[in-house]
Amino acid sequence: MQKIRAWFEDFGNMIFFAGETLAWMLRPPFRPELVIVQMAAIGVGSTFIISTTGFFTGVVLALQTNYAMHQLGAEGYVGATVAVGLARELGPVLTSLFLVGRSGSAISTELGTMRVTEQIDAMETMAVSPIQYLVVPRLVASLAMFPLLTMLFNFVGYVGAYIMSIVLAEIPAGPFIEHTRELLDVPDILHGLFKAIIFGGVVALITCWRGFAATGGAKGVGEGTTRAVVTSSIAILLVDTAFVLVTVGAGKR
Amino acid sequence: MGGVIRVQDLWKSFGERQVLKGISLEIPTGTTYVILGGSGSGKTVLMKHVIGLLKPDRGTVLVDGVEIPKLEGKELTEARRMFGMVFQQAALFDSMTVYENVAFPLKERKRGMSAEELRKRVVEKLAVVDLSESVLPLYPAALSGGMKKRVALARALIHDPQVVLYDEPTTGLDPITTDYVDDMIVGAKQKLGVTSMVISHDIASSFKVADRLGVLYDGQLAAQGTPEEVRRSEHPHVKKFLSLWFEKQ
Repeated sequence: MQKIRAWFEDFGNMIFFAGETLAWMLRPPFRPELVIVQMAAIGVGSTFIISTTGFFTGVVLALQTNYAMHQLGAEGYVGATVAVGLARELGPVLTSLFLVGRSGSAISTELGTMRVTEQIDAMETMAVSPIQYLVVPRLVASLAMFPLLTMLFNFVGYVGAYIMSIVLAEIPAGPFIEHTRELLDVPDILHGLFKAIIFGGVVALITCWRGFAATGGAKGVGEGTTRAVVTSSIAILLVDTAFVLVTVGAGKR
Repeated sequence: MGGVIRVQDLWKSFGERQVLKGISLEIPTGTTYVILGGSGSGKTVLMKHVIGLLKPDRGTVLVDGVEIPKLEGKELTEARRMFGMVFQQAALFDSMTVYENVAFPLKERKRGMSAEELRKRVVEKLAVVDLSESVLPLYPAALSGGMKKRVALARALIHDPQVVLYDEPTTGLDPITTDYVDDMIVGAKQKLGVTSMVISHDIASSFKVADRLGVLYDGQLAAQGTPEEVRRSEHPHVKKFLSLWFEKQ
């Protein structure tokens, strides 16, 4: 009972924190220089891991799809299946999960350390809002970089699938591309990118909040980061399910 | 220069625990008041009320006639410009150089100030704490404990506050550095005329820097007055607390 109450209290505080962040986001002074620094940290710094994981996801997806399609004699549809799968689902979800591990944990640890060493309190006493200075740039950068990295993941994944299918599985390149053009629509890509934006916001808010709520010393920061990663990962999958149920479940594509 | 602080009948509890039980004190402009007390006596809680990080259950804090607990949002932010605070562990931003740290409060408050003007002010304030320009490009990780404290004070002074709050300034420092930090607190008062509030459990350094002193015990000020008056206090806890140190002398 105590635990459930604590959980609700924690959740309430997080919602309040999110509201405060959104309010600060609209208020001057704006700090584009800090947003750029965060975009570099979250985005540019993640291109390697996103390209690598994207490539191998495409490769494996192509091989598995080829295995299934081969039995139906529909190998020509491997490219299209991979492309739609990546654009609508695997691209945004996997990219976001990898970003939680790489950037989300870094955000939580950095802000948590600042909290326990009183740097956040210090900022507050200097009449600078820590939410505006620390959280807003990370949120804005995440909203921008999650969809961009998802696009990278999708592209590299498709390239991986192409190489694997044409070279190894010897599927003719013509139908591979042709069917992709036929079946992959702009709304599929937008569906995925829109989800990536939402995931970016959710991850940034959760990881920043965990950092801000850190207590104690190194141990507290570590626990905060663990919770941030677990909560963000679950949140991504929950939000994804809800989103798909609402849009696809309602008969839309 | 203003900066008179009045704490009036301040009460605060956290859950069941009554931390402050009716604290009243007054710090005239340009003087140093030390709150002396053991761990967990509520010193930090008291200081956080002065700068508006906590709200009291009862009573109030007036700084230059401004009632701090009644302020919210923008007004509170505005009022905080009267203060500079030096944290126990210095709390320097470790992702910034010494220059960026010291310049930070000014740069954020007066956006649009020229780079030369900003640099001039930073160098000026570093001189107050006896630091040369050579430390400007260093990161906090490269500084000793005493130097961090000095940079923290320079940062607290950069916007010419009327009041400087020190949270356990000498905790964890060796005797020589402690002595240096004491001189630094006295120096800031003499050179800049700031009103200072220090919380400490270090008896030697408290008696050195204080104009007036209050001993916090069980949520109340067991004794307050000039160092000499406090030393002669008949309160059993104060006698015990002070004797531990004076016997050693």
